[in-house]
Amino acid sequence: MSEQTRQEVAPGAPEPVPGRSRRQRVETLFRFQSFFGLVAVFLAAIVLSPRGDDGQILFLTGDNLFNIVRAVSEIGIIAVGLTFVILIGGIDLSVGSVLGLAAVGSAVLLVNDDFGVLVAALLVLLIGLVFGVLQGAAVAVLGVQAFIVTLAGLNIARGLARMWSGGETVQISYGDGAGQAPMLFSLLGERTFGGVVPIPALIFAVVAVAAILFLRYSAYSRHLYAIGGNEKAARLSGVPVNRVKIIAFALSGFCAALAGIVHAGQLNAGSPNDGLAYELDGIAAVVVGGTSLAGGRGSVVGTIAGALLLGILNNILSLNSVNTDMQLLIKGLVIVAAAALQRLRPAA
Amino acid sequence: MRKTTRSAFAAACAVLAVTAAACGTTSENSGAAQPQDPQAACGGPDGQYTIGMSQANLAEPYRVRMDDDIRKAAERVPQFKDVQFADAAKDNAKQVSDVESFLTKQVDLLMISPNEAAPLTDIVRRAYNSGTPVVLLDRKVNGDAFTTYVGVDNEAIGRQAGEYFKNVLFPDGGKILEIKGLSGSTPAHERHDGFMQGIAGSKIEIIGADDGGWERAEGQEKMDALLKAHPDAQAVYSHNDPMAEGAYLAAQAAGKADQLKFVGIDGLPIEAGGIKAVEQGRLQATFLNPTGGEEAVEAAKKILVDCQPTEKHQTLPTELITKENAGEVYARLNQG
Repeated sequence: MSEQTRQEVAPGAPEPVPGRSRRQRVETLFRFQSFFGLVAVFLAAIVLSPRGDDGQILFLTGDNLFNIVRAVSEIGIIAVGLTFVILIGGIDLSVGSVLGLAAVGSAVLLVNDDFGVLVAALLVLLIGLVFGVLQGAAVAVLGVQAFIVTLAGLNIARGLARMWSGGETVQISYGDGAGQAPMLFSLLGERTFGGVVPIPALIFAVVAVAAILFLRYSAYSRHLYAIGGNEKAARLSGVPVNRVKIIAFALSGFCAALAGIVHAGQLNAGSPNDGLAYELDGIAAVVVGGTSLAGGRGSVVGTIAGALLLGILNNILSLNSVNTDMQLLIKGLVIVAAAALQRLRPAA
Repeated sequence: MRKTTRSAFAAACAVLAVTAAACGTTSENSGAAQPQDPQAACGGPDGQYTIGMSQANLAEPYRVRMDDDIRKAAERVPQFKDVQFADAAKDNAKQVSDVESFLTKQVDLLMISPNEAAPLTDIVRRAYNSGTPVVLLDRKVNGDAFTTYVGVDNEAIGRQAGEYFKNVLFPDGGKILEIKGLSGSTPAHERHDGFMQGIAGSKIEIIGADDGGWERAEGQEKMDALLKAHPDAQAVYSHNDPMAEGAYLAAQAAGKADQLKFVGIDGLPIEAGGIKAVEQGRLQATFLNPTGGEEAVEAAKKILVDCQPTEKHQTLPTELITKENAGEVYARLNQG
């Protein structure tokens, strides 16, 4: 596999030695585009941050920084899963609804059916996985466009979430009695390491690291990029295209379900309206992270940087009390800017 | 193969790390509200105070008006120069982040109209326990970790609507339709239950009902079907004005608008609101559902400026609005 199609670079890895050619240098710049963007937005946030009563920079307080990671954790987990699908040139519009289905599922299984945390979580993850497999199969085997399949999936998962919850929010209260969830589940709303690090942020970190390692060390990632680059060629050179596609959608469904469990645990409730339009935030994170919707180029590292960038943007805008209308406008411009930068990138 | 083993090992390590970390977690925001000293947050009339208002959504005109009422009332308090608004766009998770941002900004008082009770309970408790006074509007959170709640008694509104049907519109009984608010939302439950209490013992029967999701277009759509199924209906009780307006449009399209009577709830004092609809004869009556914006600012002033205790629950009165008093109520609610 050539260095040029190999996008996945672990954070902190030494940069390729510059000087081979100007083009390679440019290529390197683009590869780290989202990372540079992240640093730029971070620095801008420090400059623009309001000051507290004693003059400290509010944006930089530990509490605030961890709040940001907590707030993007769900979208981040979704976006990691989405990256796999988008790398093969697909799209998964169902992730927001699957998150809602998983949140409702967690709440119903824990509260109404008195399942243990582990069993409930495994069941919910399995639902997400199976949902992804079915969508992947429809795309790969039946050859229906991913946009259509997952648009249907979006509606089906939302309908299932409404049915499972009876259309009502299922509240989660904790305790050992019947109709209560085990205390263990409430950890998702807590902070660890002396009450500093939010557990959802930790889970996001684990998912991120696992995805990076997976793409770095498995043959599967070569197949992903190969299909995204040129599906026909990949098929001819013996890549098991259908299987790779199904796995990509399965991973996306799995991540969405995991995000749903985190959502229910953080908010002590599963509502059939949870995760509405989250798929769009997830796609935004992937795009800002430099992954092309055409497939074949991009990385999970980029996606994580993209999710954090959007999270910092949301945070600094609300710290400065920028009104919602303006916030939406600025978010849109950032997404367009990221996509425009991608267009400038030289072809591999 | 070796590489796969390595990544599996790494993943396992990561999971272990999380588990280990979780074991050392201390619960900080579960449990009860810590009693707040009502004087602690008070800085007297010489201070300047920052207020953060977290609104559940701005899709409903009622909530836009609530923010406007808060803005207008705060302008009359010289110590409240800085009132900041956040819009959660119906997303519980976003509302939690909004409140976190307010706490980071060290606002002197938090106002919140929660999107849903359970998901917002923890963060509101955290705010309250950290010493920030909390004024709840319109919807509650679970438990009692808040300073004061300002809102209407939806069951009482429903009951008054029922009594209006029983005593004024149909003293000899009648057949009516009900367009309900979003299933699962508390006001929809309460406005229905109260109404049933109100018409108890009369000959009024609800021959058809459906969920209009609080929205005009959906109210229209549901009324289309209800009218076809129940052509003998004489009136419509709607859980809010926009759905009543939608139902009116459906009846108009079926050529039945003048044979039916429409009653809504909210009475928003804006051009497109229920009071005008009553004045213009589309609605027979509506019941005022005050936003509580002004009362919330008054409570904030008591807490921060006057150093006075506030009531834990402030129930706002409703009011029947008909053609007779529509103009007067509209003018009264829009003065200042």
